[in-house]
Amino acid sequence: MNGPWFVELLARNGDVLHRQRVDGLPIRIGRGYDNDVILDDDYAAAAHAVVEQDASGRLLLHDLGTRNGIVIQGKRRQDAELTGGTVVRIGHTALRVRAADFPVVPELLDRTLHGWEGVLPAAAGLALAGGVALLARWLSDTEYFQLARYAEALAGGLAAALLWGGIWACANRLFARHARLGRHVFVFGCGAAALAGYALLGSTLGYALSAEGFTHYASHVATVLLAGMIYFHLCTIRPRNRIRYRWVCAGLAVLCSGLILAGNVQRTGRLSDELYMSVLMPPAIRVSPDHGVDEFMRDVEAMKGPLDRSRGRKPGDDEIND
Amino acid sequence: MRLPSAALAALFFGAAASLAAASLAGAAGKADQRAKPAPQPPLVIPPATPPATTPPAPGPGETDETAALPTPSSAAQTLYSAASADLLQIRMLLRNGRSQSSVGSGFLVGTGNLVLTNYHVVSQMALDPDVYLGEYVDTDGKSGPIELLAVDVLHDLAVVRVNRNGTGFFQVGEKPVKLVQGQYLYSLGNPLDLGFAISEGSYNGIVTRSFYEQLIFTGPINSGMSGGPSVTAAGVVAGVNVSKRRDGELVSFLVPVKYAQALLRQASAQPHPPKDFNPLIGQQLLAHQRALIDRLLAEPLSMRAMGPYQVPVRESQQLRCWGRSNFRAEAEYTVDSVSCAMEAAIYVSDTQQTGHVSMTHQVLRSSSLHPLQFAVLASSRFRVDSIGTGRDTRLTRPACAEMFVHTATLPVRAVTCVRAYRKFAGLYNFTLLAASTDDSHASLQSRLDLAGVSYENGMRATRAFLSALGRSRR
Repeated sequence: MNGPWFVELLARNGDVLHRQRVDGLPIRIGRGYDNDVILDDDYAAAAHAVVEQDASGRLLLHDLGTRNGIVIQGKRRQDAELTGGTVVRIGHTALRVRAADFPVVPELLDRTLHGWEGVLPAAAGLALAGGVALLARWLSDTEYFQLARYAEALAGGLAAALLWGGIWACANRLFARHARLGRHVFVFGCGAAALAGYALLGSTLGYALSAEGFTHYASHVATVLLAGMIYFHLCTIRPRNRIRYRWVCAGLAVLCSGLILAGNVQRTGRLSDELYMSVLMPPAIRVSPDHGVDEFMRDVEAMKGPLDRSRGRKPGDDEIND
Repeated sequence: MRLPSAALAALFFGAAASLAAASLAGAAGKADQRAKPAPQPPLVIPPATPPATTPPAPGPGETDETAALPTPSSAAQTLYSAASADLLQIRMLLRNGRSQSSVGSGFLVGTGNLVLTNYHVVSQMALDPDVYLGEYVDTDGKSGPIELLAVDVLHDLAVVRVNRNGTGFFQVGEKPVKLVQGQYLYSLGNPLDLGFAISEGSYNGIVTRSFYEQLIFTGPINSGMSGGPSVTAAGVVAGVNVSKRRDGELVSFLVPVKYAQALLRQASAQPHPPKDFNPLIGQQLLAHQRALIDRLLAEPLSMRAMGPYQVPVRESQQLRCWGRSNFRAEAEYTVDSVSCAMEAAIYVSDTQQTGHVSMTHQVLRSSSLHPLQFAVLASSRFRVDSIGTGRDTRLTRPACAEMFVHTATLPVRAVTCVRAYRKFAGLYNFTLLAASTDDSHASLQSRLDLAGVSYENGMRATRAFLSALGRSRR
């Protein structure tokens, strides 16, 4: 191994906080000003350790008789061999030493759309969030038209997008280099649009096809959409960990769905979110045929058995119907 | 003027108490809870308690002869002194700790040891004999145990046995009592646990609003007097104090004595009292719902036009209909609703009333709202989160059936939810919700509630109601 050498001070997650080039061996490390690498660490000795090369060319680190010593993988050592990957803890400082000829992994393929950053996605996200807020306002508006109510709704939507996007941008700045606010606002806008879209689509499908499941279990779809949103936020912060985030978000979604089901059973004794589908839509949407009154009454009659069985049980112990 | 007799002193106290009673109704706390909730039209919220001003209770020195109280009529004086020996207060006590949980009144019939009172006075003892026991206190303050012999939930009567005999003042004869409107009646009891009292009022006919016959007594009946007798000036028992309207003044009700005669016969005929009254109460409730649904469906439901729709209603003396509209609200839609409900229900316990029918129709219309906006409005109106209180442990959780149904002339979305009574086998609460699905600018939303019916009758009434929903021919 040949110089020059680089001493890298690391954060706990492995990021390099500080990198210092040293041209020749030995490298003296410590808190004193006569060292090659000066550590601002109260737990490091004035002259703490020294890096030397032995006869066979291996890089060795020696403890210079300090109180806290040097620690590698949780074990205190007097001497240690340093390969490029060895992380040494001196006091509260983690560091590693690499020679100039240390091989690095090939560069990642850049899939990022660099044109889709900043103002453009932010504007799109705000437009989506504002649009969803206005749509929700319009749908539930049964009073005479007043501009102020729509302005309020719009302001609310935009504020929510900026707040949510801002929180993620803070995290992004903290854990990666850039804030990427525009991207995060766009993710929020898409998420809000997807949730609103499902609310409409689920109701429409349920009503058109007499498929009550679309609204009975709507909270689980919302959970999946939210998990998806969080996944895209996380990927924006650190695209490298895509696969890991996929699993984390899937796990999160399953956990939330389970909690919703358990909560429903506990609270109301049934798995679904609602007692019955209360959606009413314009008649043109109906696709599946209507049933006769007799058929409905047969359904009602079929409930007698489970009800009578529940009668004999303790309150809260009823049959779970679905 | 001196009033030496103890009875008259008690009378004075009673008169003062009954004056204070009206305003103390809320302050009386636990002892007050037996008040039978006044039958109410469903859309009217009863005033919680009468007047806000509470005159201070009279102190010992204030109830003397100089107090400005109306002089009791001589008939009341005579009656009270003659009746006081047979007048009892009936208390429900917790077995554990013997603290009282509710109080009412009762009276010894004839010279026997049977006491007539209201079912709602002894309902705790009837439903949960392991938790509650009963006790009587007479006008001299002597007390003793009571034994429940028979109940009539429908007419709100009960017969208990005590360990002393009556003097024979209160006679419940075989013949029905003839009463004339305006005739004086005197109601006896222990209002609000303040002391025994007699109150004067007049008989005003038979009430037709309740399912079972009751007499209108225009005079004060306060909680605690329930179960006490109402007698004519001649001392003939005309009825048993049962309830009053809280939204009115001096509008009280009596159970006619003829039902008491039947119950007394039954109580003295049975060899020993039933061990568990729950099945018996269940049978009476089943009998009630048979009569109720038979009467409801005796003839086809009458049809009313509401906008473009035909809706079934039943308006009778028992089922009263009330209408409502939002025409003044600043909205782009109109709602017209009609709601029919029975003004009386069967009292089972202070938290459970049953044997009740109500039906509501509302028609939403808008010409200016977009069909999607109207759909959202109609959906939010159609949404009911829970049928009855969700945490109600006396009923099972609701089981619901939902379907798109086509009646003869109208496609509707129909939902029926049923809850079963845990204590009374064969009784259920039915709720039918129906919304029309034929128009993007109008929506008929109907609801039928049947409380305490058999499954068969619930289905029968639900089917009749649902099938009758229709669209009027244009």
